[in-house]
Amino acid sequence: VLAALAAGAAEARATSEGQLPGAAAMGTGTPPSPSGTAFEETRLHVFTLDYPHVQIPFEITLWILLASLAKIGFHLYHKLPSIVPESCLLILVGLLLGGIIFGADEKSPPVMNSDVFFLYLLPPIVLDAGYFMPTRLFFENFGTIFWYAVVGTLWNAIGIGISLYGICQISAFGLTDITLLQNLLFGSLISAVDPVAVLAVFENIHVNEQLYILVFGESLLNDAITVVLYNLFKSFCQMRTIKVIDIFAGIANFFIVGIGGVLIGILLGFVAAFTTRFTHKIRVIEPLFVFLYSYLSYITAEMFHLSGIMAITACAMTMNKYVEENVSQKSYTTIKYFMKMLSSVSETLIFIFMGVSTVGKNHEWNWAFVSFTLLFCLIWRALGVFVLTQIINVFRTIPLTFKDQFIIAYGGLRGAICFSLVFLLPPAVFPRKKLFITAVIVVIFFTVFIQGITIRPVVEFLDVKRSNKKQPAVSEEIYNRFFDHVKTGIEDVCGHWGHNFWRDKFKKFDNKYLRRLLIRENQPKSSIVSLYKKLEIKHAIEMAESGMISKVPSSGSLSEYHEGKIKPLSPTEMENMREILTKNLYQIRHRTMSYNRHSLAADASEKQAKEILIRRRHSLRESLRKTNSLSRERPVLA
Amino acid sequence: GSPGELNPPIPSLLSPTVTSEQIEHLHRRFKQLSQDQLTIRKENFDSIPDLEFNPIRGKIVHAFFDKRNLRQASDGLADEINFEDFLTIMSYFRPIEMNMDEEQLDRFRKEKLKFLFHMYDSDHDGKITLQEYRNVVEELLSGNPHLEKESARSIADGAMMEAASICVGQMGPDQVYEGITFEDFLKMWQGIDIETKMHVRFLNMETIAHCY
Repeated sequence: VLAALAAGAAEARATSEGQLPGAAAMGTGTPPSPSGTAFEETRLHVFTLDYPHVQIPFEITLWILLASLAKIGFHLYHKLPSIVPESCLLILVGLLLGGIIFGADEKSPPVMNSDVFFLYLLPPIVLDAGYFMPTRLFFENFGTIFWYAVVGTLWNAIGIGISLYGICQISAFGLTDITLLQNLLFGSLISAVDPVAVLAVFENIHVNEQLYILVFGESLLNDAITVVLYNLFKSFCQMRTIKVIDIFAGIANFFIVGIGGVLIGILLGFVAAFTTRFTHKIRVIEPLFVFLYSYLSYITAEMFHLSGIMAITACAMTMNKYVEENVSQKSYTTIKYFMKMLSSVSETLIFIFMGVSTVGKNHEWNWAFVSFTLLFCLIWRALGVFVLTQIINVFRTIPLTFKDQFIIAYGGLRGAICFSLVFLLPPAVFPRKKLFITAVIVVIFFTVFIQGITIRPVVEFLDVKRSNKKQPAVSEEIYNRFFDHVKTGIEDVCGHWGHNFWRDKFKKFDNKYLRRLLIRENQPKSSIVSLYKKLEIKHAIEMAESGMISKVPSSGSLSEYHEGKIKPLSPTEMENMREILTKNLYQIRHRTMSYNRHSLAADASEKQAKEILIRRRHSLRESLRKTNSLSRERPVLA
Repeated sequence: GSPGELNPPIPSLLSPTVTSEQIEHLHRRFKQLSQDQLTIRKENFDSIPDLEFNPIRGKIVHAFFDKRNLRQASDGLADEINFEDFLTIMSYFRPIEMNMDEEQLDRFRKEKLKFLFHMYDSDHDGKITLQEYRNVVEELLSGNPHLEKESARSIADGAMMEAASICVGQMGPDQVYEGITFEDFLKMWQGIDIETKMHVRFLNMETIAHCY
């Protein structure tokens, strides 16, 4: 878009005569004065309109504004987003716009520039997804995710490529000029599951986290394979002879691309964490570091033609662990909000541009190619998931059922990445480029519209286990920790090196070296304690907001109450403790909204919450001093 | 060991999910721990180096000798356990089978949760009281020297309150919450699918067994 708009702006400037190059270069808003003759003077302009001057930022702002207004529009009718995913609606809006521009101008509307997509629109979405990824679940399922991403994508790419080549050989379809390599390239770019589309669709249907992480993780990790295959086949198409050494180079390239991307991400993640260690004097720019370092990791990886997506994901996951503890609460909230905002805007823009770019003259329709492409995509995906799952189930402790496999296959959505990749094809090497574009668009529309709309009824029909977004409870955290230790202990007893063994080893290494280096005030934090503190503060905030500030003692003060008592506790003391416990049970714990990609939990000021806690404890001390006996009377209630 | 030890009696709970190969592995491990004796005592668990860093080490070892887990009695501790008892305890951690029906799954799940429940309930009275809960939380957080005892206790209290609110709901002003019974315990673990998480794969032990 930028390139197209820049071209348009340059055109406009060139055609409007009488503009001093100096004035244009300085970019001032001075009115144009005629060059050459000094005799013709123009009067002072009272009011001028200088559109070309602001054209680019103006149009960008208008696009973003339009996208956001469209989003508001959808949510006005609240039933709509639950039936039709937003992505579909946005594409429709884009189509409409594209139609208007096409109708008005009779030339193709600005096509989404692949550079704009890859450099500006894609990173925020991946960053947001990587930052909030449930790391524990991700690593538990890493083997399966990796298996699907690498082997699955390879299977799909080669399968689709070869079967399409077979179809092209049939002369009745008029496709015989497409070579095998071109078909393989096409297969490789269309087989990639797209993270943007998956996020957009899966977000509303709330399947259980296990399924979600499998599909989503696959869509992230397959970037490495896609990059390698795409570049490999593209170079092969342009090379005259292919030697065996090139194939080995391709395999080696894959490892470099994947591992290199991840290493860059982790390295910059550590640097970011280290930087935030020293930012306690200038809290205001803390969020900036998070964004800068992650974006840096993305473009550095892209510079070396490594996998940018994996770099930014690794960076976000690394940063998340350490940066959270170094930055202030406000910075953390800012980071979260800003990230969500950026990714939301990007996603909206991507879908609208996909719609706009569809309208135009760069299409070539061929029934056979298009329909067989779609058919093969579906068949190979289903086959691939089925076969791969049979193999991986042997190694998994929790085997994947048929329902899971169906959802994984059904969730293999294509999106903007293959859209952009197809536009990047050099037309000199691919004379039938327009055909490819058409086929890709049909596949994307099919997956986004048909699969996107029907996935919800399918999930409900199959009765897939949904996620239960419960309030985080301290007791649950305690159970989980307890359980981890039990499992580790049993594994130690029977001498088994399981997941927990490695996780424990990593935690020890982490505590010993990494945390000391990267975190400012390094106190070994217990997840139970921090969760408890968080919940206490949240509880206090809720109580303040609902106006129910009472003098019922908080549980935190129970211990003070019993300070200095002789152990073991006498039965009267136990009774009192029970009494106080039950009094506390009177307080109704409000449930906050479950976490959602587009909204964050309500945030209130910290100071206010701390004050409330202090007041509660203080009031209890007062009331105890007054009673001064272990009587059965109730403590003072508001 | 003697040839008679090669074919130990397999407890009925284990078959058919544990293969004879896995039983061989476990048997070898048992012999290591017991130093070629027929039974293991509590002291034998000291020879496992990694277990020392585990904060709830005491409870885990205790669980092996708990007569309730060994299905021998409803109370009390055994002094020593033989291989059959060892397998009985290990059977609580076997993985889920694909062809289990609803009833089997439910029983499976209850067994595993009962094991965990016994670990919490140290005085064997069938209820997890506030004191026992506090004890658990203190042990869990014992690895952290910076934490005061007060925090651990208040955390336990908070958790207990949550448990009460889940299990009993709104309570009247004179009601007293005795402790978490096994039914309440089941309710609390309802959302978490323990049957898939609570298992150990007895697959990769060959290499490790030689290290000791």
